[in-house]
Amino acid sequence: MSGIVVEGLRHLYRPKRGSPVLALEDVNLRVGDQEFIALLGPSGCGKSTLLYLMGGFLPVESGRITVDGAPVSGPGPDRGIVFQHFALFPWKTVLQNVLYGLERQPMAQAEREERARAFIKMVGLSGFENNYPSQLSGGMKQRAAIARTLAIDPKVLLMDEPFGALDAQTRHLMQTELLAIWRRTPKTVIFVTHDVQEAVYLAQRIVVMSARPGRIKEIVEVGLDKADPELTRSRAFADMSDHVWSLVRDEAIKAQAGVGL
Amino acid sequence: MNTLSSAFLRYSPLLILALAWEVAARSGLFSSSALPPISKIAAAWVDLARNGDLAGNTLASLWRTGAGLALAILIGAILGFAMAFWRGAETALSPVVELFYPLPKSALIPVTALWLGFGDGSKILLICMGCMLPVTMGAFNGALSADRTLLWSARSLGASRLRSMWDVVLPSAVPELLNGIRTALALSFVLLVSSELIVSREGLGYLIGFLGANGTYEGMFAVVLTVAFIGFLADRIYEAFVRRTLAWRE
Amino acid sequence: MAGISAPTPSFAARAGQFALRWSLVIALFVAWELLTRTRTFTPFMLPSPQSVSERIMRDASSGDLFINMALTIYRALAGFIIAAMLGISLGLVMTRNAGLRWFFDPVISVGFPMPKITFLPVIVLWLGFYDTAKISMVVFDAIFPILTATIAGVRSVEKELIWSARNLGARERDVMWQILLPAASPQILTGLQVALPIALIVAVVAEMMMGGYGMGGAMIEASRKADSRGVFAGIIEISIIGWIFVKAMAMTRARLLFWHAER
Repeated sequence: MSGIVVEGLRHLYRPKRGSPVLALEDVNLRVGDQEFIALLGPSGCGKSTLLYLMGGFLPVESGRITVDGAPVSGPGPDRGIVFQHFALFPWKTVLQNVLYGLERQPMAQAEREERARAFIKMVGLSGFENNYPSQLSGGMKQRAAIARTLAIDPKVLLMDEPFGALDAQTRHLMQTELLAIWRRTPKTVIFVTHDVQEAVYLAQRIVVMSARPGRIKEIVEVGLDKADPELTRSRAFADMSDHVWSLVRDEAIKAQAGVGL
Repeated sequence: MNTLSSAFLRYSPLLILALAWEVAARSGLFSSSALPPISKIAAAWVDLARNGDLAGNTLASLWRTGAGLALAILIGAILGFAMAFWRGAETALSPVVELFYPLPKSALIPVTALWLGFGDGSKILLICMGCMLPVTMGAFNGALSADRTLLWSARSLGASRLRSMWDVVLPSAVPELLNGIRTALALSFVLLVSSELIVSREGLGYLIGFLGANGTYEGMFAVVLTVAFIGFLADRIYEAFVRRTLAWRE
Repeated sequence: MAGISAPTPSFAARAGQFALRWSLVIALFVAWELLTRTRTFTPFMLPSPQSVSERIMRDASSGDLFINMALTIYRALAGFIIAAMLGISLGLVMTRNAGLRWFFDPVISVGFPMPKITFLPVIVLWLGFYDTAKISMVVFDAIFPILTATIAGVRSVEKELIWSARNLGARERDVMWQILLPAASPQILTGLQVALPIALIVAVVAEMMMGGYGMGGAMIEASRKADSRGVFAGIIEISIIGWIFVKAMAMTRARLLFWHAER
């Protein structure tokens, strides 16, 4: 059984104070190899929790998640992750950050270095190898984080609102580049976002989630031609965005109301 | 040249204060014992430096601070990290920390004197006990402040649980730890000088008391200013060290 | 999220947790008792808990305890309050006046990291052995953290806040007292929280050096007379003052900064 399979997943979030909250209930999902999936929903719908469970960062307590048939039991280099706030090691330079994962792989030091530089070049950060993250802009930090994750060649790429902290222009550039990278080196991508257009633009399938408790509301086949440079201005794109937005809107309103409870 | 003159302008108020002191002392408004002129204090300093009193007592004082502080940092950091990494240590130690934290550290002076007498041992123990908790709190809070996404990143890049602790939690704790050590450094001078003033037969604090009791006030002022300067210098050197260590933050 | 109530644990569970939490403290007390019972240490090195508590009771019934405590608290608090008033007002005025800033900046940057306690013999020389000298020493030591915290606090106030106030018609004086002071108060209170324990430490040291009534004087006299019970009783009594100071300061902070999202 190849790909990621989620079956009957249920997860309780236990805050330090107060009683547990049901974050996910009865989640079932199959993701094929090299498929680009977006998890879309309002904040608090458990989409990030689902991603963390796939990553093995949180323990699966009821239900199961398998990757290529093997149950997830912890984090591993087969599933790379990119976080919204970059999570670069601030005391390491860009090069040292990218090398961190490679140092844990069996290869010669010279090869590691060569590979790290190649990925830094691919994300357009050549010349910034020896800068610390604090010396980079938000977009550059996220490029560095993506290079670090791609360098260890994970089978699955988990992305937790990776462009959410960037300004609109940078976000758009990064989306285009991510698509280009994905077409060159296809991987299974699970992309968490609350931005409808971002999901429609990037993903092949969009998993729309409902809030409190998080459930899968509907899975939408996008079916657009990602290679088309005029894609975002096409009628099909607008229609698809409208359709997905109509699915999300009710949930967003419900989530808003929930905040006031 | 430009930086030199701007530094001169920046620190000129200190020069003005020193000049005001000299003028006030020479004006005869104050008795020369209460306010000896700076020129005489400088002469007294040269005398003390020549006859070896200053060097010997400075060495004694520095050895006590250095040893006490080193022990405090070592034990304090180990306790702090143990509390952060191991829930059992936290449960058991945090009430002890809570109990001893508000204790005014100077109250330990008579106890360490009672246990170990007037010599080096009592000062080292005093400084170690008095300076440990800020280091412990720094290590503990620093380790807890480690971002979980950094830990998760290290794990998903292939690091083992233990390895990611070492690679992520320890460096994350460094800024807070260094902050705690800075507090400990300041505290160590306070405890050193206080205990030497009150219960000692050696060291700079003792020398101040000795010269004051003998009525050689120029000498007393000279040593007081020396101690103040050493404390200031130690802090500046430490600050430069911290800035270099934490260069990645800027 | 309202309406969330933590489940109330049973009495036994809470007692168990309490015992676990305080186990090391209890163990320390038991060890203290045992070490004195078994004569591992002489009563001089480590007087028994019983003899120390008897000593505290005796001091209390003779009234000495309360005189000493009251004097130490008075000196520490008087110095602290003077330092707070001077430090906060000087800090506020400095941020609005370039001349004062020029004069005091280098004085503060040299004075802050210095061990001020070294000047204690000088202050004794100038002011004698009375309360004035002790309180002055406390002021001299406690003012620096308050002053630097005030300056840093005012500097970190957002410009937009000041501009909006001006835009709404506030004058220079109003800006200082109604905008800068409250906006900087979280940092100022942190400075005060640092300064209060320093005030107590310095008051105790000054008393130890100058002798006379007060916790420090009583302890150093006990130490000179090799009266170890008196010394240990003093430690416990001073700790109680320190504990009250820390708690009172934390409560004051919570009270004053109810509008500030702490952590």
